[in-house]
Amino acid sequence: MIDPYGFERPEDFDYAAYEEFFSTYLVILTKRAIKWSKLLKGSGGVRKSVTVKRYVRKGIPLEHRARVWMAVSGAQAQMDQNPGYYHRLLEGESSSSLEEAIRTDLNRTFPDNVMFRKTADPCLQKTLYNVLLAYGLHNRDVGYCQGMNFIAGYLILITKNEEESFWLLDALVGRILPDYYSPAMLGLKTDQEVLAQLVRMKLPAVAALMDGHGVLWTLLVSRWFICLFVDILPVETVLRIWDCLFNEGSKILFRVALTLIKQHQDFILEASSVPDICDKFKQITKGDFVTDCHTFMQARHVYHCAWLGIGCYETGTLTKIFSEPGRLSMATIARLRESCRAALQAQS
Amino acid sequence: MAKQYDVLFRLLLIGDSGVGKTCLLCRFTDNEFHSSHISTIGVDFKMKTIEVDGIKVRIQIWDTAGQERYQTITKQYYRRAQGIFLVYDISSERSYQHIMKWVSDVDEYAPEGVQKILIGNKADEEQKRQVGREQGQQLAKEYGMDFYETSACTNLNIKESFTRLTELVLQAHRRELDGLRTCAGNELALAELEEDEGKAEGPANSSKTCWC
Repeated sequence: MIDPYGFERPEDFDYAAYEEFFSTYLVILTKRAIKWSKLLKGSGGVRKSVTVKRYVRKGIPLEHRARVWMAVSGAQAQMDQNPGYYHRLLEGESSSSLEEAIRTDLNRTFPDNVMFRKTADPCLQKTLYNVLLAYGLHNRDVGYCQGMNFIAGYLILITKNEEESFWLLDALVGRILPDYYSPAMLGLKTDQEVLAQLVRMKLPAVAALMDGHGVLWTLLVSRWFICLFVDILPVETVLRIWDCLFNEGSKILFRVALTLIKQHQDFILEASSVPDICDKFKQITKGDFVTDCHTFMQARHVYHCAWLGIGCYETGTLTKIFSEPGRLSMATIARLRESCRAALQAQS
Repeated sequence: MAKQYDVLFRLLLIGDSGVGKTCLLCRFTDNEFHSSHISTIGVDFKMKTIEVDGIKVRIQIWDTAGQERYQTITKQYYRRAQGIFLVYDISSERSYQHIMKWVSDVDEYAPEGVQKILIGNKADEEQKRQVGREQGQQLAKEYGMDFYETSACTNLNIKESFTRLTELVLQAHRRELDGLRTCAGNELALAELEEDEGKAEGPANSSKTCWC
């Protein structure tokens, strides 16, 4: 069986559980689609606003996803201001080492997706190659970093457009994320350390477990950050996270990570060895909790107050991502990033 | 209850991106081969217990991303390894040339006395061969390493090379192992010794480091 994005479902896929979730989610999707159609028709374009933020947190319907990502991330503006730029990159002087690095990963990007197979027609491997090559030529400091293949792959599946995928990749790598993919990978190491600090503050028992076993956070979470949860969480859930990522920035990655860890804290604390901890961190990214992307991501207009510490009182359904980990302001993240980065730089 | 293993080791797989490190590992631990794996990001590991000279050895095998920039992450694992596979692809001259660089990284980051073995993988791709078997042998000799040409695809020399590296690690730790065997004759003690060693090494980590 193949999912709507072209991925083969694993043999042990729980169809009954998925069906149960999806029949409810379909109702929500339909309702959201009507609201989005109205919003998009009314203004003629999408601009960042409180309404759009609320809408985005509740999920962008697939048919509008590419357009909204392009608009809120600034990718559309970049594309409009630089007509023909993408194609000129591909026609200009190339780099053989860059080409080879990308080629090594073509067969290793979503082998479980029918559209990325060599035999597929059209085969998205060529599109992927072009997007990654153009990006490496555009941003020579970064070039190509393994992991970008998965991100570009998802962008291509959603936009079905090479040039838009390029500009969205530019929005992510060039603006939204800190320097995760540059040769020193300092942004990645910093954010892993920031997460470790957040866990220490908010979930001290988990931090104590990690310290006790001398586990490096890189072992558990580097893929979470590098791949932005691609191939870790279910596709639909990843897309919902990316909706917020494009609109609100990289803080969402910490929210997701902390929510996953907090929700499964007791389960993680059962671990008694390093392999056990690793195994548990793999398991917490699977199952009903993450499949039900809407409950996982569900958000209402008041949740950000709780995060910012303004102290709104909220009743009713759980709003996981935006309420689970407790207060988390962008200022906190910025402060932690600064101190962790300084510490890492001092070490090296 | 009897302990499921006597001793625990950590082995590490390094080498250029795309030489087949993950495939070697999957063939060894699960006897599976997939022609297209997803690229390894960061570090991952698998475990397997094998018996060598009557000793049950639990091995943790660490698989690493091959792209150069990931070394900033993977080098943290070098010093925890007792044995290292240096892997190149016989159909890629470049990956063979880079072994020199990988060896110097091992010298820099791995503990002294770490056991190394050279692997020329994808031996089934004879028609694409760019590196001769004797070139591999020559290089291994220069560095004083054992050498195997392997194929994860056809299951050539997989078990042999993993067993060999395990033997080398065991030999290197023979003194500690023999000491324990003669005085205590207690299987549990061997593993505990290894765990204690794990705790003692790597001052950068907390003294409570335990890799069991």
